Amino acid sequence: MLTETDNKIPLITLLGHPNSGKTTLFNYLSGKKYKTVNYPGSTVEYSISRVLSRFEFNANILDSPGIISLIPCSPDEKLSVNYVYNHPKHGKTDLAVVTLDASQLSRQLLLVKQLIECNFKVIIALTMLDILNKKGLDISAEKLSELTGCDVVKIDGRDGDGIDELLKIIKENINKINENNVKHSLKNYDSAKIIQLYSDIEKIEKEVLFSIEPLTGENELIHIENVNKKLTVLNNYKNNGHRKIDKNTISIDRFVLHKFWGLIIFIAVMSLTFTSIFWLAAPLMDLVDTFFGNLSEIASNVLGNNLLSDLVSNGLIAGLGSVLVFVPQIVILFLILGLLEDSGYLARGAMLLDKPLAKIGLNGRSFVPMLSGFACAIPAIMATRTIQNRRERFLTIFIIPLMSCSARLPVYALLLAFLIPQDKPFIAGLALTAIYIFSILSSLIIAGVVNKFTKRIKSINDNSSFIIELPTYKKPKIDTVLKNTFKNANQYVKKAGPVILVLSLILWFLTTFPQQNQEDLSVNKISSTELVLNATSPFALINSDTIKNQNSGEENSDSESETEYDLSKSYAGMIGKIIEPVMIPLGLDWRVGVSLIVTFSAREVFVSSMALIFKVTEDEDEGKFQEGILNSMREAKNEATGQQLFTTATIAGLIVFFVFAMQCLSTVAISKKETGGWKIPILQVVVFTGLAYVMAFITVHGLKLIGIS
Amino acid sequence: MRSASELKIGEKAIISDIDNSNPSARRILEVGFTPGEEIELLFKPVFGDPLGFSIRGTLIAVRSSEAKCILI
Ligand SMILES: Nc1nc2c(ncn2[C@@H]2O[C@H](COP(=O)(O)OP(=O)(O)OP(=O)(O)O)[C@@H](O)[C@H]2O)c(=O)[nH]1
Ligand SMILES: [Mg+2]
Repeated sequence: MLTETDNKIPLITLLGHPNSGKTTLFNYLSGKKYKTVNYPGSTVEYSISRVLSRFEFNANILDSPGIISLIPCSPDEKLSVNYVYNHPKHGKTDLAVVTLDASQLSRQLLLVKQLIECNFKVIIALTMLDILNKKGLDISAEKLSELTGCDVVKIDGRDGDGIDELLKIIKENINKINENNVKHSLKNYDSAKIIQLYSDIEKIEKEVLFSIEPLTGENELIHIENVNKKLTVLNNYKNNGHRKIDKNTISIDRFVLHKFWGLIIFIAVMSLTFTSIFWLAAPLMDLVDTFFGNLSEIASNVLGNNLLSDLVSNGLIAGLGSVLVFVPQIVILFLILGLLEDSGYLARGAMLLDKPLAKIGLNGRSFVPMLSGFACAIPAIMATRTIQNRRERFLTIFIIPLMSCSARLPVYALLLAFLIPQDKPFIAGLALTAIYIFSILSSLIIAGVVNKFTKRIKSINDNSSFIIELPTYKKPKIDTVLKNTFKNANQYVKKAGPVILVLSLILWFLTTFPQQNQEDLSVNKISSTELVLNATSPFALINSDTIKNQNSGEENSDSESETEYDLSKSYAGMIGKIIEPVMIPLGLDWRVGVSLIVTFSAREVFVSSMALIFKVTEDEDEGKFQEGILNSMREAKNEATGQQLFTTATIAGLIVFFVFAMQCLSTVAISKKETGGWKIPILQVVVFTGLAYVMAFITVHGLKLIGIS
Repeated sequence: MRSASELKIGEKAIISDIDNSNPSARRILEVGFTPGEEIELLFKPVFGDPLGFSIRGTLIAVRSSEAKCILI
């Protein structure tokens, strides 16, 4: 949100190679918490912010996606690179601060050279000095400044080292800015020119790098003082020094990229990631679950037996509880993904998978977007921007909704809990892993099929490429990972919370009204109130002695059928009846149908809508919410056939349905935005939802055929 | 003339030229594979492709079809 005056304050754009520390610096200056990841290509969109007031500097800073060169290699890359000159929303760059990974000086100076040649006002921020030092090298900022004609500052955006000096220099330069005469292209940019630039760079490199004793402690200062002395010693640098790769990285990669062990490690890492989501979270989820179960009970105790009480305890608290109960899983998912991302492993994963993925029309670079699709499809689809080739990018976008996003966790958790005894979380973990593997395999098969059928639609000039830098392994910064995890959990609650609340309210309304008292006037007064209460207020039921007494013993089954009779006359029932014919073939009835319709706005709502529709009756001894739903599910009968509604077969069918169905409107929206048209999102909705239905049908009847009902 | 895609694991070579007919040639140059630089093939994981090279003190993975334009 920029105001008029914002246009007049200077715009400082952070530029640099992927993974050179732009976002880290941006976050430090702006106080924002954008994701920083040890993977080239973590930022895909420009983001702007005001510099924090404590730096006493009135300016906007713009974070940018990493680029290797100002000259784009593909149409999509061109779009992003062009924003460097003039961002349509954020305006013209007044000053370019280039983050330059000092441990890769020669490779990254190319971009600096290009920027200078285009007349950008450039300030170099040297990062990753710790890594350079570990290689036994250091760099002279003064010399580099002298040779490039730019101001140079050493920084570490993670803890703020050198930022004060950087700001001082930025302020000095801002005052000197005059007319912006940036050139939009480089003259005669060809191979010979690149080679020429590199040979200039090598001269600079020789002058500015010098070796130091391998660092053991924090005695950097001493080394800087000794610069001159060391420089003489340093002329033997040709045969080692700056061309050495971090030793630890090489030794780790001997395993990680090993012909055989590499694969084993990959499989182990992936399966650990997904199983731990389930079993690490289980005890925490129990806590949240119990808390909301009790809260709902207290609420209905306090409010008594009425519609308001029902709304609060059943609609609001139960709805909220059904979202929050999954916060532990979300936290663990993001925590593990965060650790993985920050370690540097992801680029290796991408490399490992490039060949098989290329076979089905994807790219090694599809791996990271697909993996983040397990958290949420929206950032995942945006992350595909790192894929140069348009066809590969669109195909990746196409299949991302098949990755089991975190919104599906609540659904799977509930359905698996129905199938698997509670005291065996390990089996549930394995089952969840199986679902994940199944969804991955399905997505790969679908990608392969789509790829085969669209082979002819191959635009010329669209080169398929996989060139990726494998970053130095780093010890994940725990606090950054934690911050990011917290931010994501927060977002999950913020996003899901209101949606779930509103939907729960709507659903509560639809299942409660129209009230049928008048119609049932013939029935005696008490039983008609009982009807309504039964239908709408399970928690109130427990606390109302009179009704509970009536509701005991043999009358139980009686009153249950009355309850359902009641529900089918509600608005929800009327809607449900319309879709009943679709649900019957899956062995399900209209009540599940209503829940499924609701999930098209947000999958998470499935749990609370099941709770509302199946009229959770709380166990008296156990204040647990999920147990309540499970119990009512076990008792539910199919209204059409009178048979048990939820069986192993129908539950498996439901799981399969959720694996495929495209049920998220935000995903449709982002897919439209990123592909620039309706074709792909519409295809996704039609193909995936159709497939979901067919596959669920096959599952239910296939299982029945082999004797599992 | 050999190309970098034919190197064996642990084998070092000096880049002699870049084959400009390959559509990825320019990006290959830009990431630092310039004539005269020493490269080493360090990793060749499970599927044998892409290849992990050391170049200018960094590890870079390159598809072998693209590494073909790096002549040694
Ligand atoms: N060792 C070390 N790591 C750093 C330093 N600065 C940033 N990092 C880490 O480097 C990684 C990449 O940082 P980012 O800020 O995400 O890099 P970026 O330039 O925004 O990368 P893209 O968005 O991919 O273009 C993260 O894991 C950071 O924690 C530094 O000075 N030293
Ligand atoms: Mg970034």
